[in-house]
Amino acid sequence: MGVMRLGFVHLRVTDLEEARNHYSNTLGMHVVAEEPGKLHLKCWDEWDHHSLVLEEGGVGLVKLGYKCQTGEDLERFEQRAQRFGATTGRVSKGENLAVGDGVRIALPSEHVIELYTDMEFSGTETGSLNPEAWPRTMRGAGTNWIDHALCPAEDPALVERFFMECLDFRPAERAVTDPAHPELIGTWMFCGESPHDIAFIKGPNGKLHHFAFHLGDWSDILRAGDIFSMDDVSIDVGPTRHGITRGTTIYFFDPAGNRNEVFAGGYRTGPDFPTITWTEDQLGKGIFYITRELNDRFTTVFT
Amino acid sequence: MAGAWWRGGEVAQVTVLPGAARIQAGDGETVLRAALRSGFRYRWGCKRGGCGVCKVRLVVGEVRYERPIAANVLTETERAAGICLSCRAVPVTDLIIELQEGDRLQGASLRGGNSAGP
Repeated sequence: MGVMRLGFVHLRVTDLEEARNHYSNTLGMHVVAEEPGKLHLKCWDEWDHHSLVLEEGGVGLVKLGYKCQTGEDLERFEQRAQRFGATTGRVSKGENLAVGDGVRIALPSEHVIELYTDMEFSGTETGSLNPEAWPRTMRGAGTNWIDHALCPAEDPALVERFFMECLDFRPAERAVTDPAHPELIGTWMFCGESPHDIAFIKGPNGKLHHFAFHLGDWSDILRAGDIFSMDDVSIDVGPTRHGITRGTTIYFFDPAGNRNEVFAGGYRTGPDFPTITWTEDQLGKGIFYITRELNDRFTTVFT
Repeated sequence: MAGAWWRGGEVAQVTVLPGAARIQAGDGETVLRAALRSGFRYRWGCKRGGCGVCKVRLVVGEVRYERPIAANVLTETERAAGICLSCRAVPVTDLIIELQEGDRLQGASLRGGNSAGP
């Protein structure tokens, strides 16, 4: 019951061929479908048709797709969103290639999400019958799956309330200003057992901070770093560890300037996970655990 | 000085305000890359033309862009006002640029800079 995971990211890129090279050769995704001005890609360990849509023209997010278990979930979420005061709409099967009917919601933070239940099944690259551990033809960093997205919002508390009240997400970690009179400046929210499936930090509405690819462990992260150097990728931060989630990470940019992350580790959440709180004075440790210093770009660079 | 025309292979001189430090840009080299390669730093973001953090004001001179720039990152109004996206702007002539308010050119401790190449 409920939202299962981030199913797809629909992203704008200024140059589609440069983006194709970055997401497939550098990060290891496969192009599964092409339309004029648009590419659909997936990672080797994902079983649905695609997880990334690249659209030529501009930069930043078009929308995020969250996969839900049942049609009843979609109806329930649509009603709750409308009661909350958000604008909703219906998405017809086929409007998104290989995706069934869904509900589109304009968040209070001006981002667009689409909830759906069906996407064409194509299987992981290793398959479901006596599988190998990873594909022999894995390219570049060999990312496993798209894991989460972080977006800025002028009012993180409002969009957090939306996700909790309408979509049954819970905050795993929150960042507040002063514990005595706390203003919410960041929230990392989950719908399953991942550290988070969506997150918001204080910043301009409608923009993208980053979306993240999952890797197995520290050595995969470090190897990805070498690949990024070989491919002249613009690096933001890392390799390092986050205090928030304990995950190891590199932040970097695609050729259009959209921020990506490769991320490994973290912990297991669940409905009874005790929410972690960070205070603003310790946010450097929360974001960049080893240096314990926030870098200027983390709070100012968005697309 | 400002206004001198140059062809490929020659160098464009970029004067950075405040401070009037002079940087040489090589053939096809962007303003930001020339600054970083010369051992200087100023405020930059993605280094790929998507975030707008590295915008500077073009006081004198002309630049060209060799890649498409998103319209919302550098608007027509901004271009007309002489704002340029320094991580993607390639000097066509010698330039004088002015950093954003509050920003200043800093020298890295080692020649060539200690930040990753753009």
